[in-house]
Amino acid sequence: MGVYGALLRVHCAGDRVEVARAPIEREVFRAFIGGVGLGAYLLWRYAPPGVDPLDPAAPVILTLSPLIGTPLTTTAKMALICKSPLTGRISDGLSSSRFALALARLGVDAVVITGRFDRLSRLHLDEALEGCRVEPCPALAGASPAEVAARVGAPNVAAIGLAGEMLVRYASLSNDGRHAGRGGIGAALGAKRIKAITVRGEASATLADPAAVIARARALAQRSSGVATDKYRRLGTAANLETFDRLKILPALNFQQVSIGGAAARRLSPEGMTAAAGHVRESCAGCTIGCDHRYGGVRVEYESLFALGPLCGLADPNQVIAAAAACDRLGLDTISAGGTLAFAMECAEKGLVAWPLRFGDDLVPWLEAIAGRVGVGDEMAEGTRRLAARIGGGSLRFACQVKGMELPGYDPRAMPAMALGMAVQCRGADHNRSGAYQVDLRPGVDRRRPALEATVAGVIAAEDQAALLDSLILCKFLRGAIPDPWGEGAELLNMVAGLGVDGDDLRAAAARIAALRRLYNEQEGWTAAEETLPARFFEEPLEDGAVVSRAELGAMIERYYAARGWSGEGAVGAEGLARVGLTRWLARDHGCALGT
Amino acid sequence: MPMRARRGRCCAVSEALVEVELYGLPRLYAGASRCSVAAGSLRAVLRAVQAALPGLGPAMIVDGAPTEHLLVALDGREMLVDLDAAIGDGAVLVLVSAQAGG
Repeated sequence: MGVYGALLRVHCAGDRVEVARAPIEREVFRAFIGGVGLGAYLLWRYAPPGVDPLDPAAPVILTLSPLIGTPLTTTAKMALICKSPLTGRISDGLSSSRFALALARLGVDAVVITGRFDRLSRLHLDEALEGCRVEPCPALAGASPAEVAARVGAPNVAAIGLAGEMLVRYASLSNDGRHAGRGGIGAALGAKRIKAITVRGEASATLADPAAVIARARALAQRSSGVATDKYRRLGTAANLETFDRLKILPALNFQQVSIGGAAARRLSPEGMTAAAGHVRESCAGCTIGCDHRYGGVRVEYESLFALGPLCGLADPNQVIAAAAACDRLGLDTISAGGTLAFAMECAEKGLVAWPLRFGDDLVPWLEAIAGRVGVGDEMAEGTRRLAARIGGGSLRFACQVKGMELPGYDPRAMPAMALGMAVQCRGADHNRSGAYQVDLRPGVDRRRPALEATVAGVIAAEDQAALLDSLILCKFLRGAIPDPWGEGAELLNMVAGLGVDGDDLRAAAARIAALRRLYNEQEGWTAAEETLPARFFEEPLEDGAVVSRAELGAMIERYYAARGWSGEGAVGAEGLARVGLTRWLARDHGCALGT
Repeated sequence: MPMRARRGRCCAVSEALVEVELYGLPRLYAGASRCSVAAGSLRAVLRAVQAALPGLGPAMIVDGAPTEHLLVALDGREMLVDLDAAIGDGAVLVLVSAQAGG
């Protein structure tokens, strides 16, 4: 699609909506690319320091990439950025498919939403500003995102479920059967009483070199069909579960175990779930990989599978599929929902609470209680960290979260790079903005004998590569088909948007994005004390004796800060800002004028 | 070094054996979840695996070397790269997809 050089300011003002366009200088795209990078920049610009994530003044930001709308595979994506209701730190999620493409037809590169409606409403955004409107929709209260899409009678709908309306701190936003869940973007929208967003437009930015884009799209599509993406296409990420069980890195029973046994893991493999519930494969709009594997009609990725399965003591594929379907229907992040329930189960089994909840129980009634904030579901809706504070009794030591975000499906005791990645990531325990698991699972690595320098360098490289791909926004499942993401990323930006960048510029941009995300967290009260792991991982060895050493993790964190050019306490600092060319971007009126 | 009878699809004689387990894409390509082959260098072991399970080549194994799409973990832990490393009797090699994300 290219770059429009504009954003749409949307202010929800009671029973009406105020909209205005504001320019974005092209230099902003050279500095922050788009997607999560542009989102971090706009969050810095538009979020009042110290704002409560559920306050009307807290912005919800939707950003696009210059690549969206082109024939380049996997580019039908958008980023959603806010101050996380779960962590109080930066939150940036991605979602895909037709809604993202429709958003790009508004003729802007980003939408910044502030304010609050009086009643639960549908926000309609139109390329023509006079077409933007708010429609109260009390009848949609409690409806699932899929029901909302069916009932509003508009073609491009993103919506929250009951959990978002009830301000569950890990509520998701859904569109086209895709979900942006981590960090609670759904609660941020629910606080604005936005049940759904619909969009209409016909805008199209000019491509800098259309012929080159078409030729590259063909080449990339061809590369994307090979063995480098075959795992995602033919098996899906669900195949990780059995593999990780064998490698003994699969979290089970709230991270008390790293394996559920080969037979149980096989039941939760793609083959096992297919046998239990049937299988179809779908794909996002404009994608040549097609990783969307549905079992019993429900999309089940590895992270949902581990969190709603072994983590909670479940190995029956139909029970896990039902729980995943409930999360989709209610609008809940599957990792945080499973993580919170697993923690509650352990608390109940240890007698710290009297709740009738045990590992292996059916999750669906509990997910419904969380989404509706019914009974103890109201406390679980706050997430693991707050729940542990409420329960007390030393439970924080096995509350498996970092910065308030529940851990993804990798046990840090068996994965030293992932331990570092999860400890230092700005979003909290995170596998998407970090990708440090790639460092633990690559040739030549012995996970029991990590090399400090190589591990730290690998974690930084994985973070920066994620920042690049999530700003471009290209699907990470394409990474095996792009040997040089920096060089090719620059080529793509130049042929699409004429930005005149090279691979070094993008490396600098990735480091700049990492620093800005951290700087935002610093502004919001971050301290180095947050950059650790739950006590369980230091104090409870795995069967083979593996445990995270506080000293070794501390040494890796220290080396990580140094390699980033940050202070010994992890603050970006003036030197760090200058090093990545960020200083000039910090003035809040730089780059694009304020709208309404 | 203990000697055992071969199991599975490669049985016949008694010799030092390596157990090979396959997960994910390697299993899909091979059409098998495990096999036993003669112990030896990693290169020799992978050549034997490819001979026993020809579906693995050339996407996963070329001339006894893993491609960029295959990880070979000794006992599910150390990701091997040294093709001359000795893989002794009773060792378990775990073959998994190199694409680990999810």
